[in-house]
Amino acid sequence: MIPYEIVEHTADVGFRAWGETAAELFANAARALMEIAAGDAENTRSEQITVAAAGHDYESVMVNWLEEILYLFDTGRFAPTDFMVERIGPESMSARLIGEVRDPARHPWKVIVKAITYHQIEVVERNGRWQASIFVDI
Amino acid sequence: MSWSERLEKIDDYRWRIPRDHAAGMRTDVVVYASKPILDQIAKDRSLEQAANVAMLQGIAGPSLAMPDMHQGYGFPIGGVAATDVEYGVVSPGGVGFDINCGVRLVRTNLERAEVGPRIRDILHQIFRDVPCGTGGAGFVKVSPKDLDHVLERGAGWMVSNGYGEARDAEFAEAGGVLEGANPDKVSERAKERGRPQLGTLGSGNHFLEIQYVERIEAPDAAQAFGISEGQIVVLIHSGSRGLGHQVCTDYLRDMDAAMKKYGITVPDRQLACVPVPSKEGQAYLAGMRAAANYAWANRQGITHFLRQAFERVFGKTTRLSVIYDVCHNIAKQERYTIDGNERTVLVHRKGATRAFPPQHTEIPRDYRDVGQPVFIPGSMGTASWVLAGLPGAVAETFGSACHGAGRLLSRTAAQKGRDLREVMRNLEEAGIYEKSETKTGILEEIPEAYKDVDEVVNVVHCAGIARRVARLRPLGVIKG
Repeated sequence: MIPYEIVEHTADVGFRAWGETAAELFANAARALMEIAAGDAENTRSEQITVAAAGHDYESVMVNWLEEILYLFDTGRFAPTDFMVERIGPESMSARLIGEVRDPARHPWKVIVKAITYHQIEVVERNGRWQASIFVDI
Repeated sequence: MSWSERLEKIDDYRWRIPRDHAAGMRTDVVVYASKPILDQIAKDRSLEQAANVAMLQGIAGPSLAMPDMHQGYGFPIGGVAATDVEYGVVSPGGVGFDINCGVRLVRTNLERAEVGPRIRDILHQIFRDVPCGTGGAGFVKVSPKDLDHVLERGAGWMVSNGYGEARDAEFAEAGGVLEGANPDKVSERAKERGRPQLGTLGSGNHFLEIQYVERIEAPDAAQAFGISEGQIVVLIHSGSRGLGHQVCTDYLRDMDAAMKKYGITVPDRQLACVPVPSKEGQAYLAGMRAAANYAWANRQGITHFLRQAFERVFGKTTRLSVIYDVCHNIAKQERYTIDGNERTVLVHRKGATRAFPPQHTEIPRDYRDVGQPVFIPGSMGTASWVLAGLPGAVAETFGSACHGAGRLLSRTAAQKGRDLREVMRNLEEAGIYEKSETKTGILEEIPEAYKDVDEVVNVVHCAGIARRVARLRPLGVIKG
């Protein structure tokens, strides 16, 4: 199963992500976002931080989770390269981010992602498989 | 049924999607376009998005689409929607993430013959003096307390703190500051993102272009705006950076959750909205106005560093004066006559420019006889336009015109199969020099990715919304 694919949009960009479980889906969505925003930046050190996000359904939890990652990257607090979702539900989640404090010289933006949108958003389980469709504003 | 069957022709430049097109539409959609432009617009989902906007609670008059319209999120880009301030809604998606993204045009006392031969020098100098691209941090250092003053006072704060000249702020829409801004309604996260970015261009479609006035079409307005053929002007396109993006994100989250409470449903969650008078609605508007003020301060900071760069290259006698500064992502309370009744509405302009006509009291005195300046940047390497607002805008479009050429191709489609060196060579052969941080930045913004700006401008000119004043041609571009 491919973890995610990038999707075109007239002015911007989106992605579809998949997972055997909701936890895997949310991790793959974060990987897709970081591919758009940062490309393949390599870390020389490995640090971990814990991130939590809340919402009122899986879609809003997804948007808030991806927004947490954007916020950490934009402010230089953290440049994640991998994601371990530890707890996931329709109202909250938490995850460990693996990476390091962002050094803009080594972790430049590939494309500045302004925000995660709710446009045609979908986060669903279908036939035992989780999938999400998200557009981001660049 | 295809769009061509559903669209009713009003005249050569106006088309209607009647409200019975889809269940839930409360009003018509009116599209301003020529037939060739309409055919381009119909290729993406923007007409459907304009029809979705017609479903918003309390929408006043039609859902409007400008000729540069293209597909956005929820709202189309190039859309205008007015909602009643008492029983209508406010939608952050109708403003966009880049709150008060806008355009400022600055005139110089230099001629093409002086700048042309030194275009590379000035581009390099600007690249050093004006932080741009994805690098982030700017040269304007503000404390958290100062940032609150920026959010309250906009361009004026920058001018009184050494980043500009006294008249700069006066020649901006709303004088470069919206009343009713409240820094307390801007989250700490938004402030953390925005504080280091003040006075920076940003990336994406943001740019700074050195242009010359190729042709004057309306001498009266050109004279009022202080421009003549051959003169060098600089166009700045930027917005509210990470601060504005975070403000929109924060309130979108609140509204997505609050809609249920108000019994509001929308066809796309990015259209999330709440009643204008509600607690959430008023909080968003106070935060949005603060972010709009940040954007004017940001373009003011860029203007200051641009002046420095020009003085370094062309000497101390160089003068840069702001012609005007317009926002194209905003929601503003304005009064219009709708179906014979005068009403106060919240005009959402999502990729649309205010275009007030002559004698309107909200435009600077110097321009009152000719109308408000409207700037329409074309795609990289083509042309841009200076227009002036006409009475038709107030009568029909809630005082709004288009804001650009409008994208045709997605960013990835624009890059596909294109060679950077060839694109650069074509630009250089046309006498245009480019400086960009990234390769993709240039390829994404190639002329073929956009509609024909002359054709787009012709629509608003012929529809009586804004008249052509001057056509500008680029000499050099800094891509964010």
